[in-house]
Amino acid sequence: MEYWEFHVGRADRRQRALLVGSAVFVGLVIAATLISKGSTGFQWIVSGITVGSIYALIAMGFSVIYSSTRVINFAQGEFSMLGGMLMYSLSTRGGLPPWLGFIFSVLIVTAIGAALERLTIHPMRDQSVITIIIITIGIAIALRAVAKWIWGTDPVKIASFSGDSPIRFLGAAVVPQSFWVFGFAIVVVILVFLFFNRTLLGKGMRAAATNSDAASLVGVSSSTSSLIAWTIAAAVGAAAGIVIAPINFAGYNFGIMLGLKGFTAAVLGGLGSAPGAVVGGLVLGVLETITAGVFPSGYKDAVAFLILILVLLIRPQGLLGRAEDVKV
Amino acid sequence: MSDPMKAGKTALGGGKEYRTLLIFAVAVFIVPAWATFIPGDVLHMDIVNIMVFAGIYSCVVIGLNLLVGYAGQISLGHAAFFGVGAYTTAILCTRFSWFPTWLGVLAGVLLAGAIGWLVGVPVLRLKGHYLAMATLGLGEIAFILFTQLKWLTGGTIGVPQGLNVSVAEIPSLSVFGFRFDTDIKFFFLAWGIVVLLMLLNINIIKSRVGRGLRALHSSEVAADAMGVDTARYKTRVFVLSAMFAGLGGALFAHFQRYINPESFVFSVSILFITMVVVGGMGNLWGGIVGVIVLTFLPSVIQALPQWIPGIPESLTNFSNYSLVLYGILLILFMMFMPQGIAAGLSRGLAFTQKRGRRLRDRFEARKYEGH
Amino acid sequence: MAEERLLEIDNVTKLFGGLAALKEVSFTVSPGEIKAIIGPNGAGKTTLFDVLTGILRPTSGTVLLKGQGTVGLRPDQITAMGMIRTFQTIKLFEGMTVLENAMVGCHSRTGSGFLATGLRLPASRREEARIHEEAMGVLKDVGLERRALEVGTNLPYGQQRMLELARALASRPEILLLDEPAAGLNQYETGELSALLSRFRERGITILIVEHDMGLVMDISDEVVVLDYGEVIARGAPEVVQNDPKVIEAYLGIEAD
Repeated sequence: MEYWEFHVGRADRRQRALLVGSAVFVGLVIAATLISKGSTGFQWIVSGITVGSIYALIAMGFSVIYSSTRVINFAQGEFSMLGGMLMYSLSTRGGLPPWLGFIFSVLIVTAIGAALERLTIHPMRDQSVITIIIITIGIAIALRAVAKWIWGTDPVKIASFSGDSPIRFLGAAVVPQSFWVFGFAIVVVILVFLFFNRTLLGKGMRAAATNSDAASLVGVSSSTSSLIAWTIAAAVGAAAGIVIAPINFAGYNFGIMLGLKGFTAAVLGGLGSAPGAVVGGLVLGVLETITAGVFPSGYKDAVAFLILILVLLIRPQGLLGRAEDVKV
Repeated sequence: MSDPMKAGKTALGGGKEYRTLLIFAVAVFIVPAWATFIPGDVLHMDIVNIMVFAGIYSCVVIGLNLLVGYAGQISLGHAAFFGVGAYTTAILCTRFSWFPTWLGVLAGVLLAGAIGWLVGVPVLRLKGHYLAMATLGLGEIAFILFTQLKWLTGGTIGVPQGLNVSVAEIPSLSVFGFRFDTDIKFFFLAWGIVVLLMLLNINIIKSRVGRGLRALHSSEVAADAMGVDTARYKTRVFVLSAMFAGLGGALFAHFQRYINPESFVFSVSILFITMVVVGGMGNLWGGIVGVIVLTFLPSVIQALPQWIPGIPESLTNFSNYSLVLYGILLILFMMFMPQGIAAGLSRGLAFTQKRGRRLRDRFEARKYEGH
Repeated sequence: MAEERLLEIDNVTKLFGGLAALKEVSFTVSPGEIKAIIGPNGAGKTTLFDVLTGILRPTSGTVLLKGQGTVGLRPDQITAMGMIRTFQTIKLFEGMTVLENAMVGCHSRTGSGFLATGLRLPASRREEARIHEEAMGVLKDVGLERRALEVGTNLPYGQQRMLELARALASRPEILLLDEPAAGLNQYETGELSALLSRFRERGITILIVEHDMGLVMDISDEVVVLDYGEVIARGAPEVVQNDPKVIEAYLGIEAD
């Protein structure tokens, strides 16, 4: 008995060592930055947290759809793009009060997401995952093209929710919108986490991804599960796109990079894990901003993807993800 | 059924496939003939030029289909190998004006293969989504390097304008003094290569190696147990597909005469994989069918207003709606032909053949009754 | 006595998380014998096969095949050494014909690679012809030669089992590991299987068989090893094991109907 407990302990310890190692690594990078660059370094980290919260928000959308359907939605970034652009039309140009513009934009994108699921994903539910992935790529191309048609190619600026005068914070300047992004990310993560872990519907949806029989026992068909997941993902994506637009601007082709980074953050943290999305997003954001400060800024994305590949090779299920049962 | 012993032997030799390849080669090589006879403003597209690009993409996609369709290993980063092939020959042939272009192409192929091996060995341990993500990341890193290593690649401006070299463009490809410097000449070069690659492809698939790849696609555990060294097969097929992509890239550089990172972005990797899936994964002809359909699709969409009079003037600004249509068509293809167009075509063909046979039988029967 | 052992399993333990699927399992298989492993569901029989064929690495213990250690070797290397298996849940290759399935079985004894097959070098063409002939040969052995060109997974269940057997046989194994080959077969088919296995033995193929069908086990096996909760609880001639009270308690008692 003792013999095999030792082994179990070892496996656990390895995982813990990896997590602690990653944390120490990130901590060391942050400490080194702070020591060597002082307040500039602190400024980088603060911006990194903002950027990271953006990635975390996008990552949530991927996670929601992945954990309930095992599909990776390549149109996820486009939901955010659409959210930002609609907000621009409704509020910045259309004169609706921001909160109303927010609600309408999110509602429209959510409706689009749900409709797309019913029209294209639902009829194909028995097909292979790669077929469905290509369909989501088709959706992304079409949405991007529609946006280009409607809004043109120039990026647009959306007014910040509460002004643009930076707040001084321990020597770093933080635009107020950053707090909105950060706060919003926290709220969304908590809501999604509670939904999937505390409600019967959410648990059923997670079950539906791996075992549709078990899920139907709880009364969730994989069909409803997919619809709800897409609806939530579209809503979260759109809202994220609106909150980050004042910092990032908005443009018809902004969805690709947002999608890629969000996806990376999701995998980094562990696909399908809500807390993982946050950790992944923040780690990615902070490391990326620091790299951009230290190295020529063009390499910052390379670092992000390098980290991604390393994580995949060492721990494919991500930092906080759980290993799935390997099918033999 | 006829004697399986005998029938098996012909199927084994791939006789049917070689016949199809011959018909295909003849059909492709007469394209320029009718393309020159039809005045360009009837179809409103330069068929030969588009076909050259289709030929170049076919090199990539044939290899990718071997990797994705047969061996079941996904790659979302093949634009990287396409780029390595293109940059290698472009840089060599513009930096050193004496450098033989064919040697540049060869260097591009080999370097793409070598990089494929270096990244393939660790990355191919991953499966499914994880492999997709890792290859996507590799593709992105390659793109960033193409953009950032300015001293080598000329940055965003590309080769040769971004480099401090005396030549104004990448030299055209020349082999034994014969220069492939027009669309028509390049057409025959590119499609000649495609036919050779297809021959190689058919040979591999209809052999021990092809069976090993299909076996590992179906069940890695069972393939292992039957004695297939799956890790080695995966690496080898990855390297081969990287070399095919490198070859396509090298041809691309010598045809277009300039290159910049834009031709090797993430969406190009996605385009390649889309061509494989739309054409038909694991279908011998799927890759080429997918390439031809998706390469012509934008031109066809752009030409639509000229073909059909009465389409409103506002829509003649193609760039706006052509991509919308492209996206929608992509979705529709997947929804109605999830096995790919090639499979759909051959099913349709079999159906009409069966019907034809039935009609003939009925006709024969009636003739017989008449007697 | 040393050469009398084709396969030696020595103190093999396999742990999954906190659970021991195999606990210090030891036994040997002599050339030419048919040895059966029986035991209730979850006793670790399939895990043992996975360990023997290199799919799983044992937590501790050694496995010797023809005197050579196999722990740490890849499955394909073990297959090449002359030990091959079939699967409890049929794992035919999808989309491949009956003939092609059998041809994959020849993999470990052939060597043409990408270059040789891609260029259709003469050596590779000769090899293809040989593979074809041998694959047809094993299909004939199990009576599937007339269905060679059908897609393997479209065969009726019983014939799929036979095809798995043929595929394994195509590797010309010295020892064949069969994981519940009679599962899902009707009485007639089981009878055929039994006759087939006896023919294999006459050809000198050693067989290690996991089986629930007691009739078959008692009929063909020289010796029976009984596993329960990952431990060997009894071994010996079929009729001896059959009357072992420990076995009756653990296995036959539960199964009796």
